[in-house]
Amino acid sequence: MSDAPDNTFSLVITGAPYSSQAPQTALAFAKAVVDSGHLIDRVFLYGDGVHLASTLIAPPSDELHLPHAWSEFLTEHKVPAVACIASALRRGLVNQEEQDRYELGASNVLPAFEIAGLGEWVESNVKSTRTIYFHAGS
Amino acid sequence: METLIIIDQAPYGGFSGREALDMAFSLAAFDQPVSLLFTGAGVNWLRKGQMPDEIYQKSVEKNLSAAPVFGIEKLLADETSCLRYNLDKEDLPAGVVVVDTDAKVIASFTQVLFAG
Amino acid sequence: MSDFHTLHILNKPPEHPRFAECLGMSSSDDALLLIENGVLALASPERLSDRKVYALSPDARARGLTASEGLLDYTDMVSLTLKAERVISW
Repeated sequence: MSDAPDNTFSLVITGAPYSSQAPQTALAFAKAVVDSGHLIDRVFLYGDGVHLASTLIAPPSDELHLPHAWSEFLTEHKVPAVACIASALRRGLVNQEEQDRYELGASNVLPAFEIAGLGEWVESNVKSTRTIYFHAGS
Repeated sequence: METLIIIDQAPYGGFSGREALDMAFSLAAFDQPVSLLFTGAGVNWLRKGQMPDEIYQKSVEKNLSAAPVFGIEKLLADETSCLRYNLDKEDLPAGVVVVDTDAKVIASFTQVLFAG
Repeated sequence: MSDFHTLHILNKPPEHPRFAECLGMSSSDDALLLIENGVLALASPERLSDRKVYALSPDARARGLTASEGLLDYTDMVSLTLKAERVISW
């Protein structure tokens, strides 16, 4: 019954890439959600999790490029992803709009991610069958 | 749907407690019932007389005093943690309820979460 | 309806304060899913003997650990989150 395919998940990532395992675990979980026939309502990046949306991450070529791996997944499955605006601005993650507003030297948000407020999280949390959090492990 | 947000990190030395409070205020702003539980080092949020100007931060004591105004339902503090950090019940901010935290305390909430 | 009430997803090593918080706020009606560094608890599983314990197999294997039962993949993890009435990520 609870395994019916109309279940929706909302995923919240609070752990940063390359300093926690959270974005990797969340990606494997997200793929399993989709493979199981369920829906992902949206992915919300909060706190240090917002770094996942950065265009300026360049890991060694033999390591998984997490922002790119996540972008591919989001685009392929048309899953909306939102980085919390308050978390993002504090940590130097800005899109074109915020760059203009704060007169900053650059913008650096991957196209698969939007920037918005916590209201997106509240809405998704209310709509979804399950909201699963992926925190840093230490 | 009633949410409990647990704050187990001390203020000022990290940011996740403040981000937990932002989540609580957001839920409350959208009329979603939300309560806070302070446990572990997180009970240090409840100490009176915080003066963080010299470390260039804003007082979380003030943020927290606004909690009931913004519609946060309950402020809970773990008893053992309060004892460990020498916080007497009488010294806690008005409205804070001291509880012996166990599975029963969190059982009444439909969801329980951390900000990080 | 489900064979346990709350699914506790634990990704911290046993020394982390949140590990103790999780055990303190869970009951024997609950299930524990060890992921990431949480699987390090499999090295001395006695302390968890009164709970229903699952562990994410890829995380256990990555750390050279195993368990006699309860090893899950990510698809099982998805099912488990739906079986529980409530999921808490510690």
